[in-house]
Amino acid sequence: MIRTIAFKELKELLREGRFRVMAFVMVALLVVAAVISKNYYQWVNNQHVTAKENARNVWVSQDNKNPHSAAHYGTYAFKPKYSLSLIDQGVDKYAGISIYLEAHRRNDAQYMAAQDQTAISRFGDLTPDFILLFIIPLFIILTGFNSFTSERENGTLRLLKSQGVSSRILTGGKWLGLFIAVLLVIIPGFILSVLLLGNVQDFGEFSIGALAILFLFYLLYYAVFTNITLVVSAWAKKSNIALVSLLAIWMVACLGMPKVANRIAESMSPYPTQSQFVAAVQEDERKGLDGHNPFSAEAKQLEQETLKKYNVDSVQQLPFNWDGYLMQKGEEHTAEIYFKHHEQLKTTYENQTSVYRVASVLSPYLPTRFLSMALCRTDYASHWHFSNAAEKYRIMMMDKLNMHFAENSTYGDWDYLADKSLWKDIPDFTYEPVTYSQILSSNLNNIGVLIAWLVTTSLMLMVSVKKMSIL
Amino acid sequence: MFLHQIKYEWLQLSRDKWVSTLLIIFIALCLFAANNGSKKVALRQAEVEASLAVMRAADSDFKANIDSVERGLKTVEPWLNPRRLNFIGNRAPRVAAMQPAPLAFLSTGQSDLFTHTIKPTLYGESYVLSFGELSNPVQLMFGSFDLAFVLIYLLPLLVLAFSYNLLSSEKEQGSLRLTLAQPVSLFAWLFNKMILRFFIMTTIVTTSLILALVIAGIPIVEVFSSVLLIVALVTLYIFFWFTVSLIVNAFGRSSGTNAITIISFWVILVLLLPAAISQLANSLYPVPSRINMIHEMRIAKSDAEKVADTILSSYYRDHPELAQRDTTIQNQYQFYLGYFASQDVVKKSVAPVLEEYQTKLSAQQQFVESFRFISPSLLLQNALNDVAGTSSRHYDSYRSQVVAFAEEWRAYFLPRMFNNEWMTKTDFERLPTFTFHYGQVDSTSSADIVGLLVFAVLTFVISSLVYRNISRKVLIT
Repeated sequence: MIRTIAFKELKELLREGRFRVMAFVMVALLVVAAVISKNYYQWVNNQHVTAKENARNVWVSQDNKNPHSAAHYGTYAFKPKYSLSLIDQGVDKYAGISIYLEAHRRNDAQYMAAQDQTAISRFGDLTPDFILLFIIPLFIILTGFNSFTSERENGTLRLLKSQGVSSRILTGGKWLGLFIAVLLVIIPGFILSVLLLGNVQDFGEFSIGALAILFLFYLLYYAVFTNITLVVSAWAKKSNIALVSLLAIWMVACLGMPKVANRIAESMSPYPTQSQFVAAVQEDERKGLDGHNPFSAEAKQLEQETLKKYNVDSVQQLPFNWDGYLMQKGEEHTAEIYFKHHEQLKTTYENQTSVYRVASVLSPYLPTRFLSMALCRTDYASHWHFSNAAEKYRIMMMDKLNMHFAENSTYGDWDYLADKSLWKDIPDFTYEPVTYSQILSSNLNNIGVLIAWLVTTSLMLMVSVKKMSIL
Repeated sequence: MFLHQIKYEWLQLSRDKWVSTLLIIFIALCLFAANNGSKKVALRQAEVEASLAVMRAADSDFKANIDSVERGLKTVEPWLNPRRLNFIGNRAPRVAAMQPAPLAFLSTGQSDLFTHTIKPTLYGESYVLSFGELSNPVQLMFGSFDLAFVLIYLLPLLVLAFSYNLLSSEKEQGSLRLTLAQPVSLFAWLFNKMILRFFIMTTIVTTSLILALVIAGIPIVEVFSSVLLIVALVTLYIFFWFTVSLIVNAFGRSSGTNAITIISFWVILVLLLPAAISQLANSLYPVPSRINMIHEMRIAKSDAEKVADTILSSYYRDHPELAQRDTTIQNQYQFYLGYFASQDVVKKSVAPVLEEYQTKLSAQQQFVESFRFISPSLLLQNALNDVAGTSSRHYDSYRSQVVAFAEEWRAYFLPRMFNNEWMTKTDFERLPTFTFHYGQVDSTSSADIVGLLVFAVLTFVISSLVYRNISRKVLIT
């Protein structure tokens, strides 16, 4: 019986010109978005490959120079793009693409794409995630808003009821009919993305499993919207009212809530501005890490300790160059300061994230948005992960350079030049992204909220269909 | 006849509880958005004030220190001596602040991407100053709930809710047959219905705007012309959406179908078209590669550094005016002068790379911005950002004004250092200061308003043509 109703619903939809046009537009949009994203992805990737090679070449082809000069000259770490970013660009546009690795400073990623684009780009880009997250729910609403209301308006609901169709079966049939209609649009999109992704040369592995999980999350999201659409359609007296209410829900969930959550997150735990952040770091550098041991005093103390340890009376007698050693200690000290401030920043960011989690209770869009970005490795957490890896590399690099200086030169010998073979001894920067299992386990909340949405709206659907008036 | 019709329409509308509910929600949203906007502006203002206060406090410390050192009450390490020009030039930078424009609360625009307080120092290289603001990219992605959002995205929906069944409801109630039996032109009659709603909407939006301005504490008299401009822009935008609705109504479908068609128009014009345009423009003419720029810059830098160390003498050859007047004493700044000279060599080879990039980028941005004439929403967004002083062009200008100021800062210290002078207390009054000049940014609002006008006229002409050619029979059956 469910199957009969679902089949009838689907057949009716497919005969309807409006549905056919919309479905065609959806598929066309997905194809266009995917092709554009693929081109963009390849363009960025090619740049990335050259940039990575260039950065390494520039580094290793330095002449003989003082290791500390090389440390100041530094090198760049470039953030890789992964193949799934083709589907969801996430926050990529708003996070920098490269980190300058130099002595004494932890730099943030520079050159976010949004800064180089005009305000037009703030409307969003025509990428698959835009279609998947905003437009398809709208498509579900426009297709299904009159599922029950039109039956009521035509008087067929009364007929159905008189034939003894249970509300459970009626709901099941309607639900399946609408959901299969959505699948007709989504499945070609999915197949297309598998083909496109299979064709793309990438750095990371392309995991069909991750794509399947992503697909599953989107299906959950669409199931939630299908539920909401049917709930409202069962509740509303007229199709017009159902449509207006559903649009209002869509507006709140997809456009309003994220912005309102932004406002709350910002007022509850504001991000420091760039100049505040820099000032706080400088303040700590000036007065020492804990605020009670100024660096110069600490240096004196370190000198005494080192002299005692090596049992000599002056730094000239140490078996290594004291300048290099002291510089390394200083580097470790500033790295700690940067670590402390980035941890504070991370706390702020986590507080903001928890605001979005709370707001997810009012918007199924939010958990899906975060899950989708996370799986495509284009979320903020991925950016942090990269930034931390780059910092780790920077610390290692500075350690090698300073210790080489300390061990191969004598005190006061600032004219010391390291052989250019040293540059090659420092390994190239390689980056291992977060694994999918880590991604999933750190997003359990989002998965939970999405499932809760599905369960709640399903319950609401059952109740509202039972209570539905047939007139 | 006209007044008669208006009167009855008005009675009908005023008794519809949906109408008043929607209007109240809209006003509430406007006020919420305005409040958000003013809070953002207040934070920005506070940041600027705080930086200036820190600078002033530091200045008086430096002055006091200079005084003590001059009188010999205090001895300091030479590299921490506040009487040294290079010390002040580096440790007492001015805050080059971009104060918010009076109407900044209207639209966040690009202001969340950039910092508004830059402190160019003497040692720093003006061409690599970073203008990025520290922020959570998720915040940037979701964007802010400002008046621009309400006006660009939500206002059309309100207009559509008011007009989607302008004709179809009359048809469904059967009153259309009666009306058409009267000697009235269908278009004139419908247009009257529309005009009334248009006036109601415009009044409500204007009132909300003025209310928002009052709440934000903005002296309306001072920004009167800008307020007029915004009202004009919004009025045209409202008119455009009404005429779109009028055209859809002409096809004589049911209210439900009209609603879906109109919503689809909204999705296309407000969501899809801008996204597609942004994508299209950027793929037709990609943003020049930052990654390549970094590479070129590094090559230039490493080449220049190789020669940089041997150049102080050639620097004097290029700048004979800087050579010390009293040659009997050793210049205390000898070391730093060498540094600046070599910095100049590096700059001479690196700056062109960046300038070239900036030129390419500006050309690209201009190209992309010209695409805004395809969509009324883009035109309105551009105009609002323009009035709010938060457009890409404003931040481009801020960048170039700051870079120019950094040069001015250097130019104040360098000749005096070459002449082996000291910093004095009174010199603080003579230090160059920075003020951001909004006037240096070309306004695009007149082009935007013309663009919106063209859209409004175009849809109006189309709607009148559609109604002229429509057969009354089709409408009634």
